[in-house]
Amino acid sequence: MTRADVEIALTAEGTYPHQFGGVSVWCDQLVRGLPDYDFSLVAVVATGAEPVSWTLPGNVTGLTTMPLWGPPPPAPPGSRWLRPTVGPPVRELVEVLLAPPGEEQDRFGEVMREMFTYAQYGNLPAALASEDSVRLLSEAWRQRWPDPDLPPPTLQDAVTAIQLLEHALRPLSHPPPRADVVHAVTNGLGALPALTAKWRYGTPVVVTEHGLYMREHYLHSRQDPYRWPVKQLYLQFLRRLCVLGYHEAAVITPGNVYNKRWEARLGADLSRVRTVYNGVNPADFPAFDSEPEVPTISWAGRLDPIKDLESLLRAFAIVRAEMPDARLRIFGSPPASREPYVARCKALGQELGLGESVTFEGRVAEIRDAYAAGQVVVLCSISEGFPYTLIEAMTCGRPCVATDVGGVTEAVGDTGLVVPPRRPAELARACLTLLRDGELRQRLGSAARLRALEYFTVDRAVSAFDEIYLFLGTGRPLPTPRSGGEPAGLRLAPVVADAVVADAVVADAVPGETAPGTAGQPGSARLEAAG
Amino acid sequence: MSAGDVRTQLPRALRPADDDGGLPHLRTIAGSQTTPPLTVAALCEDFAPVCESAVDPLEIASALEFDGMSDQMVRDRYGYPDVFELAAEMYIQVPRQPAEPPPPADPWQVSRLQPMLHGLLYGLPAVCFPAAAVLLAGPGMHVVLIVALLAAWATSQGLAGLGYLRLGRTTDRGQAKRLLRAGLLAGLVLLTLTMAGTALLVHARLPVVIFGVAEGAYMLGACVLLVLGAEKWLLAVLAPGVLGSAAFLALGRPPGLLHASWIALASTPVLAVLAAIVCTRGSRSAAGRLVVPAELRAAAPAALFGLLAAGLLAFPVIAGAHGQGGVNVGALLATLPLSLSMGAAEWSLLAYRRRTRELLRSTHDLAAFGRAARFVLLRALGQYLLAAIVLTMIATWIAIAAGLVQPARLLLPELAVYLALGCAMFLALALQALGVRAVALIASAGALAFEIAWRELGVVSQLAACIGLLIVLGGYATRVLSMAVRHAF
Repeated sequence: MTRADVEIALTAEGTYPHQFGGVSVWCDQLVRGLPDYDFSLVAVVATGAEPVSWTLPGNVTGLTTMPLWGPPPPAPPGSRWLRPTVGPPVRELVEVLLAPPGEEQDRFGEVMREMFTYAQYGNLPAALASEDSVRLLSEAWRQRWPDPDLPPPTLQDAVTAIQLLEHALRPLSHPPPRADVVHAVTNGLGALPALTAKWRYGTPVVVTEHGLYMREHYLHSRQDPYRWPVKQLYLQFLRRLCVLGYHEAAVITPGNVYNKRWEARLGADLSRVRTVYNGVNPADFPAFDSEPEVPTISWAGRLDPIKDLESLLRAFAIVRAEMPDARLRIFGSPPASREPYVARCKALGQELGLGESVTFEGRVAEIRDAYAAGQVVVLCSISEGFPYTLIEAMTCGRPCVATDVGGVTEAVGDTGLVVPPRRPAELARACLTLLRDGELRQRLGSAARLRALEYFTVDRAVSAFDEIYLFLGTGRPLPTPRSGGEPAGLRLAPVVADAVVADAVVADAVPGETAPGTAGQPGSARLEAAG
Repeated sequence: MSAGDVRTQLPRALRPADDDGGLPHLRTIAGSQTTPPLTVAALCEDFAPVCESAVDPLEIASALEFDGMSDQMVRDRYGYPDVFELAAEMYIQVPRQPAEPPPPADPWQVSRLQPMLHGLLYGLPAVCFPAAAVLLAGPGMHVVLIVALLAAWATSQGLAGLGYLRLGRTTDRGQAKRLLRAGLLAGLVLLTLTMAGTALLVHARLPVVIFGVAEGAYMLGACVLLVLGAEKWLLAVLAPGVLGSAAFLALGRPPGLLHASWIALASTPVLAVLAAIVCTRGSRSAAGRLVVPAELRAAAPAALFGLLAAGLLAFPVIAGAHGQGGVNVGALLATLPLSLSMGAAEWSLLAYRRRTRELLRSTHDLAAFGRAARFVLLRALGQYLLAAIVLTMIATWIAIAAGLVQPARLLLPELAVYLALGCAMFLALALQALGVRAVALIASAGALAFEIAWRELGVVSQLAACIGLLIVLGGYATRVLSMAVRHAF
């Protein structure tokens, strides 16, 4: 069997090919990067009214959308008159969801398979969104409500929770995707079509997570309008669904080690985890052959509070006190409704007396120009996944200063300086260290480019999936990776919290230094044992 | 490049001392002294809202990480191995005490004026009919007008259904506008073809056909404006036709003003279509498919219901007092308050939905909800009936005072037919609004079939049909609308 014989079903939720954004870019790169495989796309979408925003390459053989909130999927023929004698296991689902987290996970898997079986010949949406389901849930709540001090669930809560579950389970009512490998580029609801393919045809499943599904849903739940009982039930459902996704996957490919921690915590089998980093196309980010004359710090991104531009401005005020000719150039535009934040930042700049030394430059047509504008590129977010800004700047050969959040230490490695978030003083010291030392910038910049070219290229990510598809698609077990799933020899960045030590780190962290020791990390040790 | 663990590749000074077999991590070289290290208790205080409403420790972990906390910081400051263990401790230390979310906006809270305005918009065009009386003559006039009414109601209700569906499915109003504009044009073509075909069959005169097409054009344009929430435009659109006709009638139909009244009359449908086109401008570039088959299927019941409602409304008028044809003036008079009362029906339905929503949020028991919901439905029906009776009495009083009907000939049976029909339409509206369509459609079709089959019984069969419809829909609605799950949307 060759690659041409292997068909991949790619399932996504609210991203490719309807929306723009990081995950969609990644999917597009993957599909275009593997032209020998045929891809059929399965998109779990909100309502089904979303337009396709991407031009689909020739190796995409089809697109199936599964709307969660639009009109319900067509009921199987005959299900209206020949109603199945046994209804869907709603009582069991409710009981499992009300059990303490961690218990009854196997039962949850069985319940979901029974739901899927029912959905293939009965009208699951109608059976779920019924008065009986509301009755089951409200009675179960009444009997098992853990604490009289907690807000008691109302009927509205029961109705809302049942509705949420009904919509969430709609992908079960579609025919399962038919392919040799089904690749879910998210966990959770977007992975449901992949699970149905496994249950029906035994198709091997690959689960990739860029943002960690569960973490993002915990965070989103803080903005949701639901009362606590609904929130609790629905998050438990999603959590169990994610764990089920990990259990059913043949391979789990997080986008970074930072995400892997969460997967481990949620009970993923680490022997099946292979980290595949996001990458950029080096041709888009050739190395700079010069840097600006004036000591300049460059920042690029969406102007959003999570990026903590306040700390950057405060840090720059310290930098400027020591280097009066220093400049800070901020590239990017605010997302909708964030204009007040930009105004606040500008006001802070005035308050700090930064005057003309700080410029808000707006969007740039070529993001590369934003990196070219600085001697140093800074990322100072309080939360990140695996930021493209860093690997792009690194590919261009610019040294970076970044905060220790998400996968930043993995990205920067020992080729930049990493400081704790929200600490302007440390951020300033790290920037000054680099701005004052042209030779160090040169050294770290070249090392950053080498590191990015080695680990964070599209080619590398694409070939990792080429291997996974080829083995799984032809029914062979994956070979044991060379290391614990992470790229061999990948270094993490030291977190710099003190100027004196920063210098020491810089002296010590230059590339080329090899440290002794061969002990594998636990993940890799287990992988080797399993292989 | 040597294979192996990331930590073994670190500069020696940075290698973690606690090689505990955990996931890769790094030790911060020196904790910053600029801010005093926080205690776990202080952290719990900072994160109290998150901890109090957390459903499990992982939710707290996500919030800590989102706030910039890393495993490294946790180890340095609090002595726990990672963010997860710290979150687990915080979950234990802070008891659950979730705050109630802010009450969501009441979707059924609209201005009281809006339903009244809608009532006027439904009822006012009736003034145009007597003003156009000279135009409406010749063979097949009734057939043409009735076909126009049926076609106009069916297409405009179907289009409104499509428009609301699309508005509910996307935040992109451009998509809904494009669909409404396309539907308007398709509806106009369909209407024109239907009217032309009917006219050929019954040899109707051209003015009658034009009047029928104009009526449909007005309704389609009005429906686009209503779906887009442009009621004020609609008032402006109605002004020339209604004011012109009213003035013409009030002046005693002076022949000198006949042509002027026709121009005023004609301007309303033309303006309605123009306003609808203007309101849907700039939508050509909207993304996505114009319409999907599922939407057409979902909007079909609305179109069918429009057709049946128009049939039930119009049949008593054209069946004549004794089922032998000819216009039943009493019935014609009764249609005006019924049209106006649709504004009251809308208002009453909104109040009903507001009350059931409150009920759902304050009840814990299905049986109690069912009982209370039945009462709320009866109350809403009573409210509507009261409004309809008042409107009917006013209209009758005006008609008698103006000498349009003889005081001797009381219109009681006709009025009773329309009151029963109004109540049944209110229930059908409520059922439709809550997503139950089939029974209302079947029952309405049955009632209309009954009226047609036993037309020689005249008003008796109409009364029987409408009261029967009311009983069926009433019984069905009290049963299905007392189910909590129906009130989820």
